[in-house]
Amino acid sequence: MMKLSLKATLGTALMVLSAPLGAQAAEGTRIQVTGEIIDTWCYYSGVMGSPDAVVGSAHHTCALWCSAGGIPVGLLAEDGTDYMVLKVGDDAEAAGGDTLLNLAAHTVEADGMLYERDGLNYLVVANVVSDLDITNQNHDDYGNAPPFSIPDPNK
Amino acid sequence: MKHLIACLALIASPLAAQDFSEGSEARSWNLYAEAPAKFDAEVVDVLCTLTGDCPEDCGAGRRQLGLVRTADDVLVLPMKNSQPAFTGAAVELAPFCGQTVTVDGLMLDDPELGANNVYLLQTIKVADADKIKANQWTKVWAKNHPEAKGKGPWFRRDPRVNSIIETEGYLGLGLDVDKTYIEENF
Repeated sequence: MMKLSLKATLGTALMVLSAPLGAQAAEGTRIQVTGEIIDTWCYYSGVMGSPDAVVGSAHHTCALWCSAGGIPVGLLAEDGTDYMVLKVGDDAEAAGGDTLLNLAAHTVEADGMLYERDGLNYLVVANVVSDLDITNQNHDDYGNAPPFSIPDPNK
Repeated sequence: MKHLIACLALIASPLAAQDFSEGSEARSWNLYAEAPAKFDAEVVDVLCTLTGDCPEDCGAGRRQLGLVRTADDVLVLPMKNSQPAFTGAAVELAPFCGQTVTVDGLMLDDPELGANNVYLLQTIKVADADKIKANQWTKVWAKNHPEAKGKGPWFRRDPRVNSIIETEGYLGLGLDVDKTYIEENF
């Protein structure tokens, strides 16, 4: 009897553990989160500078370019968690759409559904509760990143 | 029992840690967290996959598209195409939505920053067809913006971007802040 029980336990455990991770359906959780609408590629890749330099006013123009270019837009919360934004209100155009473009580098308070899958947080924003505009005025510390984001008026 | 636990621990080790570099011909971008990665995957509309909101055309390149890797069912998020021009990957993948393709590119892995299963897409191959470069974004943009034809990169000519810069400034804080900053720094 004990043997059968152990076999059954092992079998069940193997079935569960060997099942594809993605087969565990994502279940949304309603959250309210405040953070900055960021350009995720520059933030993750380091291609344009340190994480602190590729946010805020220092990176506003580049954030516009990346958002218009269809790069995923994130909401970087105050605790450092990044949420990939898939939709805002009725606008599901998260790859180059107008709504997210107009929020580039802004700090917003969002109410929406969080979906976690394979190490990333995805956010479906039902409502931007408040748009606080650009609050991270970091250009005095980091300049404009990248430097060519503002054309040199002397050239 | 110890052996059983050890076996289960091995099986439960993260599948995402698999090495997908074999056979990759991806070009390095000299990114600190990059790793070449070539794999088979189904092209999916991420919003559809997570929420069930599923238009027939996967958003025609206007929604973020994902790659569900055949080997382990992990959802990879392609953030970049192969052009060094601030351009994403959704436009490149949109024609293949719902299809299984072989992609080659660079995986970024920096869990401390939150970069898990994010990807720079360089080439796409369907079945026996030749692989194609993921570099169509600027051509699609030019076709959609004949009024913005001219010299220089697309991002200097994009009407939406320029409209925002004209009103909010390069720093996004207003034209007066821009003026002071430019006088002091250029």
